Amino acid sequence: MSRFFQAEVTGNVLLSRTHNILKITPLQPHTMPYPGQFYLLRVSGTLDPLLRRPLSILRWDEDGLEFLIRLKGRGTLLLRNMKPGERIDLLGPLGNGYPEPVDGETPILVAGGVGIASVYPLIERFRPEVRLFYGAVSAGDLYLVDEIRGLTRNLHVSTDDGSMGFRGNAVERLTAYLDGSSVPSPVVYACGPEGMTKSLLGMLRRRGIPGHVSLEERMACGVGACLGCVVETVRGYRRVCKEGPVFDAREIAV
Amino acid sequence: MNLSVKIGDLALKNPVMTASGTFGYGEEYAEFVDLSLLGAIVTKGLSLKPREGNPPPRIVETPAGMLNAIGLQNIGVERFIEEKLPFLEQFDVPVIANFFGDSIDEFVGAAERLSRADGIDGLEMNISCPNKQAGWLVFGTDPEVTFEVVSAVRRVTDLTLIVKLSPNVTDIAQMARVAEDAGADAVSLINTVTGMAIDINTRRPKLANVTGGLSGPAIKPIGVRMVWEVFKAVGIPVIGSGGIMSGEDAVEYMLAGAAAVAVGTANFVTPTATTDIITGIRDYMAAHGIGDISTIKGGLLWEREDL
Ligand SMILES: Cc1cc2nc3c(=O)[nH]c(=O)nc-3n(C[C@H](O)[C@H](O)[C@H](O)COP(=O)(O)OP(=O)(O)OC[C@H]3O[C@@H](n4cnc5c(N)ncnc54)[C@H](O)[C@@H]3O)c2cc1C
Ligand SMILES: Cc1cc2nc3c(=O)[nH]c(=O)nc-3n(C[C@H](O)[C@H](O)[C@H](O)COP(=O)(O)O)c2cc1C
Ligand code: FES
Repeated sequence: MSRFFQAEVTGNVLLSRTHNILKITPLQPHTMPYPGQFYLLRVSGTLDPLLRRPLSILRWDEDGLEFLIRLKGRGTLLLRNMKPGERIDLLGPLGNGYPEPVDGETPILVAGGVGIASVYPLIERFRPEVRLFYGAVSAGDLYLVDEIRGLTRNLHVSTDDGSMGFRGNAVERLTAYLDGSSVPSPVVYACGPEGMTKSLLGMLRRRGIPGHVSLEERMACGVGACLGCVVETVRGYRRVCKEGPVFDAREIAV
Repeated sequence: MNLSVKIGDLALKNPVMTASGTFGYGEEYAEFVDLSLLGAIVTKGLSLKPREGNPPPRIVETPAGMLNAIGLQNIGVERFIEEKLPFLEQFDVPVIANFFGDSIDEFVGAAERLSRADGIDGLEMNISCPNKQAGWLVFGTDPEVTFEVVSAVRRVTDLTLIVKLSPNVTDIAQMARVAEDAGADAVSLINTVTGMAIDINTRRPKLANVTGGLSGPAIKPIGVRMVWEVFKAVGIPVIGSGGIMSGEDAVEYMLAGAAAVAVGTANFVTPTATTDIITGIRDYMAAHGIGDISTIKGGLLWEREDL
């Protein structure tokens, strides 16, 4: 039962009108995650909404797990309204997670919006010098910036409206960076919205830079059984919950 | 307490089976459920040749349910037998291979191949799939075609043969009688109910395939009604499915006439749903002093004898 367990909500920090950090403490033995893995959370004890919601693991330790949640619809609203003491059940950790860089590779992290949740554990893993390109629509949509500054001195912020850091998206910022400096054998780790992912894949392809990109798709089972969460790859359809969510940039069909 | 039931030649320890397509090839759930505790395992639908399936998005949540348009993606009978069946053979549980085809020949070919493999105890044919030779009309909506395809499969297999019926018909009792006449040992119902969902902001369908199959609690009343109609119409056992989430739901289906039940979408919500439901059935039996589960089959009490 170590990947299906009951937990208690021990904290729920409302960061803004759209984002919260949910902290839970497992009440049963559970498996520890890797960076880039995710959980399926049951959002209510009733039959509607029915399906679990996938969330990347943001932080964890012996005491608990934390998720950064962006308000989208009914499920994430229920998660936002959870109070300490409430019970919740989780399925996970699921999926493959980010692979280790191979010898000599320099990791570069790219996060767009709430994609920072998936990338965050890598900042901790590769501290203290890892390069992180973090973009959002506006300054108010950037989260955990102070914590991130405590983990790396190499943060490159961008906003679409220019309200903080570079004006433009994280991929444009990264492209400018790569043009202006020489990074030995870069390898990109990325998670962000579809548009960002697409432009990133194009850039990596043109420059021959390897990358590991986390993708999203609708899910039901989370364990590879329903075949609901497939994405198209150069080797045919692959399940985001099982072969992903992290895919080799060269494998993703464009 | 006796929970065992018989479906054709198959003796099940208890009436709870997995519903095709919701439990993968069994191995996906083996870490959550002791597969030997189940009544039977029904595999993902298999075809003679592997299938790629539909483009994503393939699923969308709907009120108390979900639509799916997986497109019958599967690894094909050959790879199933080589790569997946050995795993299932470790468990003390009957394996029922669900299969389909887009022509009668393909149905027959898949049935022949599956019948030759060791370790398959029964076959469930999914006739809710399009028929190439009939302009892609669904097999299971035309009584004559249903009779023809079930008879053809019956001729090539001695395994227990279950015909899985589509609810997307006017008279499901008639389809069940046709399956029985063609030699089926049991019928199972319901498969998913065809549905559709639209994103009103983009005006685009929420599924790439536009339409999909509705499953989950939303369809339970349809399933219960259809099982009841079919139970009154045939002499062979009926396997009930559609929105079973709890032991109570399973009992409801059995009171309507189901000899056994199949649990589908519930697995996605709770990976231990199948064994939780077995426990729930036991609890019901204990609470109502029922010693043998078969005695509640078709135990619905109703007044209008003319129905
Ligand atoms: C592997 C993975 C990791 C994720 N990690 C995070 C995270 O750390 N933080 C975060 O805020 N969000 C994350 N998401 C997105 C999050 O799962 C969705 O925003 C959420 O499911 C929306 O649910 P809802 O009920 O609020 O929205 P609704 O739009 O009402 O949901 C309706 C249905 O669509 C599904 N759905 C909607 N948007 C998405 C989406 N983008 N991806 C997959 N399914 C979706 C829902 O799960 C639900 O079944 C992740 C998604 C995936 C696949
Ligand atoms: C994702 C998914 C895949 C399915 N695949 C198959 C299949 O391959 N063959 C089949 O006969 N039925 C298939 N079904 C139908 C189920 O076996 C079941 O009959 C139906 O979902 C109703 O039960 P439920 O409400 O408990 O899910 C599938 C259902 C779902 C949700
Ligand atoms: S969510 Fe079911 S296979 Fe991925």
